[in-house]
Amino acid sequence: MKLGLGRLRDVLKTGSGSGEGEKKQVEGKNKAEKEEMQTINEENKPEISERNEGNTMELRKAGLESKKEPLSPADRTGADKTGLIFFPAFDWAISPTHPEREERLLYTRDQIFEEGLMDLPEIAEYKPRLAEYRDIARVHFCVPDIKAQATTPHLIAAGSCLVLGDALMKAEVKNAFALIRPPGHHAMTVAHGNRGFCNINNEAILVEYLRKKYGIRRIAIVDTDVHHGDGTQEIFYNDPDVLFISFHQDGRTLYPGTGFINELGGPKALGRTINIPLPPGTPDEGILYVLDTLVLPILKDFKPELVLNSAGQDNHYTDPLANMRFSAQGYAKLNEKLAPDMAVLEGGYAIQSALPYVNTGIILAMAGLDYSCVREPDFKPGMFVQAARDRKTLEEVVAAQLENWKNRDRLVESEVAKHGDFYRRKKQIFYDTDMIQEFQEETIRMCPDCQGYKTIDSHAHRSGDDTRIFGVSIPIYACKNCQAEAREEYRKSLNHPEYEYVYLQDKKEDEYRAYNTRTKQEIAY
Amino acid sequence: MLIGIDVGGTTTDAVLIRNGKVCSTAKVSTEPGNLMNSLLEALDAISRDVDPEQLERVVFSTTVITNLIAEGKTDRVALVLIPGPGINPASYTYPDSFFLKGAMDYRGREIHPLDEAEIRKTVGLIRESGFSRAAIINKFGQRNPFHELRIEEIFREIYPECKLELGHKVSGKLNFPRRIATAMLTSATRGHYIEFVEKIKKSLEERNIRAPVYILKADGGTLPVEKSIEFPVETIFSGPAASTIGALALTPEGQTSVVVDIGGTTTDLALILSGKPLMASKGAKLGGFLTHVRAFAVRSIAVGGDSVVRVKDSDTGTKQITIGPYRAGPAYCMGGKETTPTDALKFLGLIEVGNPESAGEAIKAMASALGKSETETASLIVDKVAQRIADAVNEMFFEWEQEPAYRVWEVLQEKEARPENVVGIGGGAKGLIAEIAKKLDAKPVIPEYAEVGNAIGAAVARPTLTLNLHIDTEQKVYSVAEEGEIVSLNTTNFGNFNKIRLDEAEAMAAELLRERAENFGISEYADEAEVVNSEVFNVVNGWYTTGRLFDVNMQIPAGLIPEWKRRENV
Ligand SMILES: [Zn+2]
Ligand SMILES: [Zn+2]
Ligand SMILES: [Zn+2]
Repeated sequence: MKLGLGRLRDVLKTGSGSGEGEKKQVEGKNKAEKEEMQTINEENKPEISERNEGNTMELRKAGLESKKEPLSPADRTGADKTGLIFFPAFDWAISPTHPEREERLLYTRDQIFEEGLMDLPEIAEYKPRLAEYRDIARVHFCVPDIKAQATTPHLIAAGSCLVLGDALMKAEVKNAFALIRPPGHHAMTVAHGNRGFCNINNEAILVEYLRKKYGIRRIAIVDTDVHHGDGTQEIFYNDPDVLFISFHQDGRTLYPGTGFINELGGPKALGRTINIPLPPGTPDEGILYVLDTLVLPILKDFKPELVLNSAGQDNHYTDPLANMRFSAQGYAKLNEKLAPDMAVLEGGYAIQSALPYVNTGIILAMAGLDYSCVREPDFKPGMFVQAARDRKTLEEVVAAQLENWKNRDRLVESEVAKHGDFYRRKKQIFYDTDMIQEFQEETIRMCPDCQGYKTIDSHAHRSGDDTRIFGVSIPIYACKNCQAEAREEYRKSLNHPEYEYVYLQDKKEDEYRAYNTRTKQEIAY
Repeated sequence: MLIGIDVGGTTTDAVLIRNGKVCSTAKVSTEPGNLMNSLLEALDAISRDVDPEQLERVVFSTTVITNLIAEGKTDRVALVLIPGPGINPASYTYPDSFFLKGAMDYRGREIHPLDEAEIRKTVGLIRESGFSRAAIINKFGQRNPFHELRIEEIFREIYPECKLELGHKVSGKLNFPRRIATAMLTSATRGHYIEFVEKIKKSLEERNIRAPVYILKADGGTLPVEKSIEFPVETIFSGPAASTIGALALTPEGQTSVVVDIGGTTTDLALILSGKPLMASKGAKLGGFLTHVRAFAVRSIAVGGDSVVRVKDSDTGTKQITIGPYRAGPAYCMGGKETTPTDALKFLGLIEVGNPESAGEAIKAMASALGKSETETASLIVDKVAQRIADAVNEMFFEWEQEPAYRVWEVLQEKEARPENVVGIGGGAKGLIAEIAKKLDAKPVIPEYAEVGNAIGAAVARPTLTLNLHIDTEQKVYSVAEEGEIVSLNTTNFGNFNKIRLDEAEAMAAELLRERAENFGISEYADEAEVVNSEVFNVVNGWYTTGRLFDVNMQIPAGLIPEWKRRENV
């Protein structure tokens, strides 16, 4: 593999002598911390026995990283490589004939290896690593715990995004593509189980990691999967610093049945969620039209520090789970025009007829190479033409969303005026893979100084088993008052026996806790 | 008795081994223009007092192919390429390329047919342009060679004298550009290589040497010389491979070592991990082209015993020492004109050769320019060279640790090795080994016969062999990448193809490897074969499993012949 200079320098620093000893020491310290049980007694506070939990391998690998002051992103103007992690998880499946199974990226492997893409001087291949539990806790309330929702393959998929995120921030690469599975864009803040093949949200984990580690703030996520990226939308719904744009096959005709144009974001983040439902059968020209007339102008206006492509490949004309008519050429052009800093693979289940070609096209496009000869065996230019009626539908959607975008600050103003100190909404969430029905009440503090903290009261029904949890989430850029109020909220909730688990997610402090009200044990991640 | 000869860039080294012990050694300087002369000179020197009847094995490692390519003395080859969809073939930098229509996919299914008229026109053009060699390479030709074979037929019909190379016969691995380069270089060097082999055979006959003769390959394995004609490019970089096997032979079994060969201007590094030489994860780079040729993970850095040492002003105004990358003849203490690391080693009493007075003069000049004491200056030079080498070793370990992983278990597998030994092989700058070892926190080892460790490596290396079996039960075929034939599963003993288990596929691969070893005349090593990787995937159509894909990769890894190992047990 080709290494960026920064990484080599890191190695040389720690490769021998003192560095090695330091590493061992950190390892020892973590072990000690793990075994330490704390009992704290305070007013109004139940007895808590605390322990620290992490996946030990990662603690060891990442143990050297400083967790205090954020680093700053390096200048990427001199970087000329595309970072790539290909993690096909050849030894993992949801079940043997499930679309999310071992050989999903097998033919993609064959194609990109036979093309010799990994040998190109424009490509730097990286090795995956496991994400730490705290990286997951920064985004999710995992029920009952992280271990149950994020298995090893999930940690590797998320960890791969973090490796590339670091490479990007250290300017070892100009952009990056995480060609990984399992996917994540249907996973929401509360994770009771698997939804739409996803348990944990790779993009969200990456965003919060980069914000914490490198101090960046404004990020745009463009979800190009055929399914509405409802998980990512939910996670950032109230965050005005994250612009979430998703185009997808109209929710009236496809899972998960959401992503309509009136889903515009929470009161203080209206217009920062932009949905573009596409009529079934939309070909390249339709998607590129939306990109040119809506997505790119909004991005230009938003001026994000980072653009992510939540890159599903199930818009393809041969995908078995959807009904669109996008081609490999279309995907390559999309990535060339969008020029995301990083793309993360989501869905795409035409594993023979689409994925080998689509992935080759995306890699070439991101590396700035000629992709004009990448095409599916049966593809003929001009084979799909958009119906006039569908084009008109798209034009209306684009016009409406441009209007919403233009008026976003006014929309926020009038919406905020309608609410007092708190904004509440009730939601129902269905987990198709695990057959769970979840009822949620989400409460946002309508703070004048920041986006406000959030609490979630979630009740999950599955056959023969009900779980109710309560979670408190403090945004990384929350004000001090919100932080104090939210932490108090957490403390009070520990006494409520109606919840089995109570969670604290303090992104400002980078502190994550989960409390089991039955065993009275608190885990700190 | 065993003979090992390594024809290197400056010297040709030879050893004679009897009963597992080094019996005698020889060193002659290499004549750059005539490797054959140097080889025979070394052979004669070592076998002078030996009855040819008593020789059991002769192994050569030679730079003949490397030199041919470096000097551009290879034959012109017309490349007939069938790229199909993917990267724009216009971006390839191969010379003399002719692109044809047609395409196979990753499963070996034809996605676009050949255009017969276009082929005939192209073959005619190749003939008119005066090419006498052509290489035909199809993307995914290893999954289905039908297109390559059909084009071969047309060549036979209208240009039968043209010597042909087919991509799928050259390598069965994925990577079309590397297959193009490997096929091209194979074709371009084969003619000269055949001449070389003929000369060797004739010379040995003249000397009544009838022992089997082998050539050392870049992966540290030996190949019978007649068989090596099929794979001339595999003989590249056998020098570093010889040194590595030599280090393996001269250090205790199962240890982790860095092999350091310090030359005049460069230092070659290789790794032995728990007794196994580390292979490069991908093939070697040759003549500027990436190939499929298996090779050890070796690294060459531009610093050696004769590198010129200078004092320079740094940006901050302080004086600094720079080392290399140039050489200006031998070290000052050996009669040269410039200060070198060898002079520093001599000054500090770390080496025996060289004139101590001139070493002192050389260091004195540096010391006054630097404003430091002479001992400080000499130590600084040695430290700097050792640090450069130690850094390169750490980088090699890091790159090995960071090799991509495609499976969950591979990510979980912790690659953490540190060297136990720093083994000095070759004649150069021995005094440095201890300094490098200190920096790597390892034991310095300079084995007996270290200066001919490369020739010992050649003498005691065992054959290597790979076999990559691919089974597609949906299409009811299997193929062995190295053999390049697609065979119907009906010819096997399997009853129900959809019930084949992975262990049965592995057993089939082991049997095929045994046959292949027999074919190579190395069947006695078939038991050393190991499974490198084996996996099975379901082929699912809709929600039903309609077939399975197996991939089993086996190898006889690099190692030592039992005649040498016997000695260890004594
Ligand atoms: Zn989408
Ligand atoms: Zn999808
Ligand atoms: Zn606030």
